[in-house]
Amino acid sequence: MQRRSFTQGLLLGAIAAAAKPGFLRAEVLAPTGPERFAAGFAREPWLAGWKSFSAESLGPTQAIVEGRWPSGLTGTLYRNGPARFERGAVRYQHWFDGDGLMQAWRFRGGEVTHAGRMIATEKFVHEQKVGRFDVRAAGTTIPDALPIRNNDSMNTANTAVVRLGKRVFALWEGGSAYEIDPDSLTARGPATWRSDLVAAPFSAHPLLERDGSAWNFGSLDFFGTTGLIIWRIGADGALVRTAILESREPGYLHSFAMTDKYLVFTFMPYRMAEDKGSFFERLQFTPDRACRVALVPKDALDAPRWFEAPFAAIYHFADAYEHRGEVVVRAARHADIEEARAPMAAAMRGERGTPSSNTELVSLRLDLARNRARWETHGVGGFEFPTFDARTPGNQPALIFAPASVNPANAPFFNAISSIDTRAGRVSVHHYGADVLAEEHLFVPRPGSTRPGEGWLLGTVLDFGRGRSGVAVLDAMRVKEGPLATAWVPYTMPLGFHGWFAG
Amino acid sequence: MNTLLLTIPSVFAVGMLMTAAHAGDLTVTISDIRDAKGSLMVAVVNSDAAWKSEAAPVAVQKIPAAQGEVKLQFKDLAPGTYAVQVMHDENGNQQLDTNFLGIPVEGYGFSNNPNVMRKAHYDEARFEVGADAASITIRLR
Repeated sequence: MQRRSFTQGLLLGAIAAAAKPGFLRAEVLAPTGPERFAAGFAREPWLAGWKSFSAESLGPTQAIVEGRWPSGLTGTLYRNGPARFERGAVRYQHWFDGDGLMQAWRFRGGEVTHAGRMIATEKFVHEQKVGRFDVRAAGTTIPDALPIRNNDSMNTANTAVVRLGKRVFALWEGGSAYEIDPDSLTARGPATWRSDLVAAPFSAHPLLERDGSAWNFGSLDFFGTTGLIIWRIGADGALVRTAILESREPGYLHSFAMTDKYLVFTFMPYRMAEDKGSFFERLQFTPDRACRVALVPKDALDAPRWFEAPFAAIYHFADAYEHRGEVVVRAARHADIEEARAPMAAAMRGERGTPSSNTELVSLRLDLARNRARWETHGVGGFEFPTFDARTPGNQPALIFAPASVNPANAPFFNAISSIDTRAGRVSVHHYGADVLAEEHLFVPRPGSTRPGEGWLLGTVLDFGRGRSGVAVLDAMRVKEGPLATAWVPYTMPLGFHGWFAG
Repeated sequence: MNTLLLTIPSVFAVGMLMTAAHAGDLTVTISDIRDAKGSLMVAVVNSDAAWKSEAAPVAVQKIPAAQGEVKLQFKDLAPGTYAVQVMHDENGNQQLDTNFLGIPVEGYGFSNNPNVMRKAHYDEARFEVGADAASITIRLR
């Protein structure tokens, strides 16, 4: 960690940075008006997924269930994502900028309800009061933005959700987890794990051990230094410990992976453009340089092993396993860095752009004896937001479940759910339809089951042809057969990023 | 000068040192105070050295915090160049609390409200006080 550069340079370098995964345009994007988006939406109804959500809360609404909801599947699917994109004449230009909206799909007795509430972050509350965007954003330049206290002042809590112990948190990438009341969805405020950890970054993809305890990281790059803070949270939701992983150079990462023994952090090299602009406008990946990979023993956080692998642009890692002297980590690699720098940027402007699905499944293979790293491809692509059954034994690859793009498609986004079995070389796909947008599908183990993959996939969909949003449940072992049931509400919701099922 | 957090407490540690000249009164309005906990510590300096806590401030005041806005006055400032820094010591421990990275977690502000992601420089915060009364507003961040 280069603390010197921090004290000499940006006191709150962090703040500019606090951010979403991602990848950005080099030029500064001036906000454009909501009118342009509205005109686009009139032509392209699939843009409902990027429409600004202007209410503070919604529901609960009784959903209409098509098919038969599995009787064993009771609980709540929480979904989080950016939703408030417009205020006055300003529309954010980057998908990651919108204020977080927490949604809850509740399943009980075969009935399904839907509710949503904007997450009352410091930023959201302030901007609701003044009626305009005047806090800086991660990916859009806000003219005359107010000076802010620290990174949490621009925390939108808009990326993911996790339940740790009995506590539910909305997660961002560059700041605190926001605790959410599990029933009312009301924000309880940023979590303080320890007095010296106020506003410390708690990123959006914690991973759970089989005992319910969790690991997470936060990037220190946002604060003018380098490296990570590693978080260890107990099964009761209380902080166990933190550690600092020092890194000699900057590296971006949105998520990580773990095996039974190791945490694996893959740092994408980048540099920051000198010109003005938001964090993602200035961020420039450097694909001519290698990714650095830290293999961190869970029982020796201060003893990382470092590897180097050719550059890869990755938001989301999936499962990882250890087999024959190798640690293998799977991920969705983006082929087009420029496209990936601002995902769905055209949609944010109200335009049809290139599809956001130019990805392929890769395995990062870390040879422990030779200290070598290499990427392996699997010939499977066109997907994102991978999930898997965490019960899969630690010495074998898991089934990967991911929204995918297949034809016919009337929107440049995912419209299918796929199950990828790399051992059998088999991909099963269910196509929701040309007029449907498909989001992340979570794996939910069937109560009483032990066999990996035995359970359901729970995923949200937006049917722009019929102007409705819904949640589908599929048998994870029979993806091709399509949903067992789908619960619909008679309105569309903005697409989100990640969810959490609390049974 | 390292970080904001190192600076402001040391300014206060230097203590009060009023100049004797006659002249304008400076009214400082502090806005956007999040809550009424603790106190506001306000330092007026007239040099880069004092801004960096390497010299004594011209004046300091400590007043109870109030939610929203407070006004305070510095009397009889000699005409000249000044800069003001404010911290909201919410928990009464006489310092601007920070996290493990040194990032402030209590409120603070600078004259001219420069929109910078670090402690403002003296040049960014300085303003002129003439023979007449002057007033500034500092927005707490």
